Amino acid sequence: MNFRQTLTHGLWRDLPPFRLVLGLCPALAVTATAENGLGMGIAVTFVLIFSNMFISLLRKVIPDKVRIASYIVVIATLVVIVELAMKAFFFPLSQQLGIYIPLIVVNCIILGRAEAFASRNPVHLSMADGLSVGLGFSMSLTLVGSIREILGVGTWFGMAVFPDSFEPFGFMVQAPGAFLCLGLLLGLMNAWSRHRGEFFIQT
Amino acid sequence: MDLLLLAIGSIFVNNILLAQYLGNCPFCGVSKKLGTAIGMGVAVIFVATLASIFTWVVYHYLLKPQGLEYLKTLVFILVIAALVQFVEIFIKKQSKGLYDSLGIFLPLITTNCAVMGIALLNIKHGFGFVQMIVFSASSAAGFAVAILLFASVRERLFISSVPTAMRGTAIALVTAGVMSLAFMGFAGMTN
Amino acid sequence: MREIAHLVLVLGLICSLSAGALAYVRTSLAPRIEMQEDFYVRGPALERLFQQPAKELLTEKLTVPVGDQDYPVFYLRQDGEVTGLAVEAAGKGGYSGDIVIMIGLDPRSDRVLGVEIVSHSETPGLGAKVELASFRQQWTGLILDQPLALAGDGGGIDAITGATFSSRAMVEGSNQVVDLLRDHRQEILSLIEQRSADGATSGGES
Repeated sequence: MNFRQTLTHGLWRDLPPFRLVLGLCPALAVTATAENGLGMGIAVTFVLIFSNMFISLLRKVIPDKVRIASYIVVIATLVVIVELAMKAFFFPLSQQLGIYIPLIVVNCIILGRAEAFASRNPVHLSMADGLSVGLGFSMSLTLVGSIREILGVGTWFGMAVFPDSFEPFGFMVQAPGAFLCLGLLLGLMNAWSRHRGEFFIQT
Repeated sequence: MDLLLLAIGSIFVNNILLAQYLGNCPFCGVSKKLGTAIGMGVAVIFVATLASIFTWVVYHYLLKPQGLEYLKTLVFILVIAALVQFVEIFIKKQSKGLYDSLGIFLPLITTNCAVMGIALLNIKHGFGFVQMIVFSASSAAGFAVAILLFASVRERLFISSVPTAMRGTAIALVTAGVMSLAFMGFAGMTN
Repeated sequence: MREIAHLVLVLGLICSLSAGALAYVRTSLAPRIEMQEDFYVRGPALERLFQQPAKELLTEKLTVPVGDQDYPVFYLRQDGEVTGLAVEAAGKGGYSGDIVIMIGLDPRSDRVLGVEIVSHSETPGLGAKVELASFRQQWTGLILDQPLALAGDGGGIDAITGATFSSRAMVEGSNQVVDLLRDHRQEILSLIEQRSADGATSGGES
């Protein structure tokens, strides 16, 4: 892949969590509102860019046997930094996201990109990959969050979008709504891919 | 009595998978056959309980006295990763049969958010030692129950005709939504 | 053997780098995190107690260590006299963990201005009723010169039906404040005097 392809592949071709089916937990858990989804997306993007950077920098130093352990240390360090920064600058958001911020550490996207991309590519490509996949993830989470917030609460980023007579569809902000919304979106996306004739089958 | 309520609550009402959204990757990944689902369920119960005990002890006797609570994410994931490695080696030595059936799931568990999630929830809820063990074991059992039920549903889905676009993960998520709806019926059973 | 040494060396290096980075971030962000926590967690309770914007109240903060516990104390000062104190205490023995309360009082008479809940994790609809104004009302106007107790334990506070544990935790927290005032009143007041004096001089210089 060249630089431009790397920079854009996460936005559609490997869009997480839809086409790269990784990182489902945060996509379900923190998308009750668009703001939470976006916040989580940005946090993950930050961790992805820098974990890819450090792992790519260290890829020739780290022995193969302790590869995964080293990746985990790097990722966990970045997650703790994000945790602290969130508390210092976006306190209410950090309260809302709760344990899902420390859980970024076990988000398969990050370890997946480290292993599949950063461990065998130069630094600038790895960072571009992190940015691209992270942006794709943020986009998806914001989209799911927007749909759920608009239908479930009747607001978007906290602003009212419907007249008062609208009865919010409370089911959408609860757990079943999350699964249903993500499943249907995934179906729509598959249908669109097929329509465009892209080869794409999930298992 | 309280412990019983806590157990029932964390298996059914606050099911870790269907109400707290933890552990969805293995949920969708290894739930295609009942057999593998059972293996995963048992492995999670075992590792989650063990990991919770270790992380709880480390947090309360090592991190907290030193004022290092902010390091818990880093320390917990390392404890869990080390533990999984150790369990893998131990099982391999002790029982070939068990290793063949559980072994392949163990590496997956390190990045299973259910295990890490349970460890973090123990701290967040401020549980004591006994509460912690009951909560961890029953939350993990809740995971096992959900993944078992789900695998049975998916085995049937396999032979039914699903619209092409919805095949695979999409229909799995919708099914999980319906199951989660059913589990919501348990709400109000405790409290 | 050489290989293992190499593995340990690399892992050790990565870990120590990570520890260094974390310690640096932690120390540089700690004051800001504390400020944010005060503002979002304690701010609302303080505002209700003293009827003033939290931004001004939060700067007037002391921490009083007693034994191995730290009590955050906020104060209100008018014309060189301390007219209000708000003491935070974690009431032990709640149904699911501590109930953190903040008691506002007038230090000249020890009369309670009110009690607010800072945080709790009690059962909604049951223990969470400690938040109700009708329950907390029982504190307002009390003189904190002796320990409180629930009516069932021979005191004057009526517990919430079905939530004795939560009610008792509130009383326990209040009694910590009673003890603190009894044993450390002079210390607190002189700390406030000292801080105000410091504030006045540094304010003059700038």
